[in-house]
Amino acid sequence: MTSTDEELVARSIGGDADSFNQLILRWERPIYALAYRTIGREEDARDVCQETFLRAFRALPGFRGQAKFSSWLYRIALNLCRDWIRRERRTGFVQPPEDVDLIDFIAAAEPSESIEDLVARKDQMRAVERAMALLPEDQRTAIVLKEYHGLTFQEIADLLGCPLSTVKTRLYQGLSVLRRELAKTAETL
Amino acid sequence: MTEHICQYSGDRQQAIVSYLYGDEGGFDAVERTAFAAHVATCEGCRAELAAFEEVRMSLGQWSPPRLRSDDSPSFGAAGSIPSVRETRRRADGAKAASARSWRDIPAWAQVAAAMLCLGVGAGIANLNVRYDANGLQVRTGWSTAVSVPVAQVSQSVAAASQDAAPWRAELTALEQRLRTDLRQTPAGAGNLVNAATAANPANAPNTVNSETLRRVRALIDESERRQQTELALRLGEAVREANAQRQADLVRIDRNIGAMQNNTGREMLRQRNEMLNYVSIRTAAQRP
Repeated sequence: MTSTDEELVARSIGGDADSFNQLILRWERPIYALAYRTIGREEDARDVCQETFLRAFRALPGFRGQAKFSSWLYRIALNLCRDWIRRERRTGFVQPPEDVDLIDFIAAAEPSESIEDLVARKDQMRAVERAMALLPEDQRTAIVLKEYHGLTFQEIADLLGCPLSTVKTRLYQGLSVLRRELAKTAETL
Repeated sequence: MTEHICQYSGDRQQAIVSYLYGDEGGFDAVERTAFAAHVATCEGCRAELAAFEEVRMSLGQWSPPRLRSDDSPSFGAAGSIPSVRETRRRADGAKAASARSWRDIPAWAQVAAAMLCLGVGAGIANLNVRYDANGLQVRTGWSTAVSVPVAQVSQSVAAASQDAAPWRAELTALEQRLRTDLRQTPAGAGNLVNAATAANPANAPNTVNSETLRRVRALIDESERRQQTELALRLGEAVREANAQRQADLVRIDRNIGAMQNNTGREMLRQRNEMLNYVSIRTAAQRP
């Protein structure tokens, strides 16, 4: 039977490192995805992911279960992303390269996907990536947490420490920017 | 064309986002019902909701690169380094781990292990392969002897090695000498069996020299052995050549497929770029 996060956390606090490793297995992909979509760089997202779990492990004895473990992890990861963005003094996103690596290109193909579909999918993905890069950090974070992590408005508000109405406003503004930018991209294609 | 002005009385942005995501936070059922009724009559809100839905579908296309398993942090009892990889391996099951460790063994060790297994298997089965005047015999501890007639083996061996046999001249000379001897026998028999019968000193002591017969048998035995050896060598060589050819073919096929994939991808990109250039030129030309 699968243990809950809370059970694994309790065992980890009791010194069972395996339980914490189970938590890593469970949460590393979401945390990495969050970091990647927030800062936009693969290698740095990996570093942030690792650092998140390191910090969580060190801070685990102080975790009292006031929030869900996942929310706690998200908060650590978002703080690290914010630090990274400030440290790097940039918007947080790097534009993807123009040239296409054919090997990566072919490797990314789904088994039943034609080259045309693959090209279209890659174009769409890059368009979204570019549009997301144009968003201010707070709007981008709200959209990432809502769209890709399925958090409720209230959870996002708690995580970001802002009123619920602010979360909605950020989402609305972010979606409006994305709508405009994606429409521009579609016109150029 | 007249611009549609939204008449919604509440906070429109908040309502649109809540309605879009179906999130109850700060948007109760009464508000939802009221906004749904409004959307039914408001073209602007409908259009904006539809556009946001499209944006959300596009967002669904964006996935991060795959996370390598080596990137996982790992923690041990002391908070240091044992591995999440071990945990992952356990989670993946013992079967996968066993397959991985088997792949880690060098090829020569795997071959040695296979030979050892074969040897042990043959020992357990009491495998006994023998080739003598009675023919080829293959016997295990649980089976009776299987005999292949010498003549049959000789025929196949002779067919396989008709050319370039160093012993052929020797054998021809011996055959001629044997024919001469046989012609002198009273029975005048033309085959080797009759010759052997005739060579029996008890029946016809003066016709065929027993020494000659012994030499014939020895030479035939020797000849059979050589042919067997040669056949085995040729078979081994043929198998090696077939394997080498197969490997070469596979490499060539693989290389060709890779080249075709690269060419196809490159051609697609080239055509796409040409198309983009064409469209941009046409668009620029059409602008006043």
